[in-house]
Amino acid sequence: MLTTVPSTDLDLYSEESILAPYQPYRVLRDLGPAVRLERYGVWAMARYQDVYAALHDHETFSSGSGVALNDTINQRMRGTTLASDPPYHDHVRGLLNGPLTPKALRRHRDLFQRVADELVDRLLTAGTFDAVTDFAQVLPLSVVPDLLGWPTEGREDFLGWASAAFNTIGPLNERAVAEVPAMKGMWQYIAEMARPGRLRDGSWGADLVAKASAGEIAPELVPSLIGDYLVPSLDTTISALSSMLWLLARHPEQWQAIRADRSLIPNAFNEIVRYESPARGFSRLLTRDQDIDGVRLSAGTRVLMLYASANRDERRWADAGVFDVTRPDASNHVAFGHGIHGCVGQGLARLEGTALLTALAGRVARIETGEPVWRVNNHIRAMSALPATLHAG
Amino acid sequence: MKMSVDLLRCEGHGLCEEAAPRLFRLDDEGDLLVLFENGEVPPGQDGPAAGAARACPVGALRTEQAGA
Repeated sequence: MLTTVPSTDLDLYSEESILAPYQPYRVLRDLGPAVRLERYGVWAMARYQDVYAALHDHETFSSGSGVALNDTINQRMRGTTLASDPPYHDHVRGLLNGPLTPKALRRHRDLFQRVADELVDRLLTAGTFDAVTDFAQVLPLSVVPDLLGWPTEGREDFLGWASAAFNTIGPLNERAVAEVPAMKGMWQYIAEMARPGRLRDGSWGADLVAKASAGEIAPELVPSLIGDYLVPSLDTTISALSSMLWLLARHPEQWQAIRADRSLIPNAFNEIVRYESPARGFSRLLTRDQDIDGVRLSAGTRVLMLYASANRDERRWADAGVFDVTRPDASNHVAFGHGIHGCVGQGLARLEGTALLTALAGRVARIETGEPVWRVNNHIRAMSALPATLHAG
Repeated sequence: MKMSVDLLRCEGHGLCEEAAPRLFRLDDEGDLLVLFENGEVPPGQDGPAAGAARACPVGALRTEQAGA
């Protein structure tokens, strides 16, 4: 057992830490398996082993009291799949995951590939474009909302809402407080869309609403389930798809390797989200006293699992700070979380990523990008802009 | 070693098949085929079984050593 309690006044939510997070994560990992963030009254777990263990012990590390770092949002999240424990969690996850399994998504593979192929063809003639708005946002803002059933009008609000949702997952700092009006707008929209007839007939969202009308789902659950479908499908995927172009531009020899061997594509997508994990992490509440590798925390403590740090933990990964699409254990990352709360949309994210990598591999000899401008968001690691050019060959 | 498969949690992500192709296969339709009986991991497959349990992203696999 450690004789001193690891603690730091490092501000993980300062603009500086957000824009350059990897050194702060390293500091936290080296301080201990669990480190008290003095400014926020929570304990951060930055190492892979401890994050993984917590994700697989949902009875001790409970989501039912919320997974954010502030009470306002934790209260508001109740009833969502994300912020619940079994048995309720298993019930609602089972209501959502049907259309999102890799098996269910197969029927959409051709559609995604076609849209990806057309997009890359267009961008090859576009000269220099923005990887974020012209590449990464396309599938998440078109094909995915169509499948979910959102009407076409109003979609321009989605990105702002997604950003607000992630900004309010952390502490209620100034950046988060500024987002509360956007969150209210989002909750209003979701409540409206939960009414019969608003979502497109036959869509995933409309199916949920129909189940409620048929008495299979309690009607008061529908807004939070609809919200579960809306928010997570955007910023995180857009982040990964932007990072895709940037990382492959910086590692042209790996791009050539992927072109020569398309079977590398799934692993490349894994390595992209390991290296630049879109979601920093989520919190849990301890239901009992717990010893985390020698640090003893009492029941009622809130812990922050830092996925983005776990994915760069030198204790777990050889050359953790090196981007390598041939890394043999890349699929063990925790960018999608892991365990019973493992991202229910990860099959969809992989489908989008794989379709785009396939389209690029068939058409693009060289990916060229400028320097990214990184967004300042409490919980999303993402770019706001990245100039890019695709060279055919 | 025993391994339990929670078929209700399984979503067919297929990482188990990558880690332990002699124990798990996704068929042509994307459904999971468990290639061992009664939760008993066949001889010589403890390593892949443990790897599959670690890899499953939704926590559908659990191992325990027989007699533990």
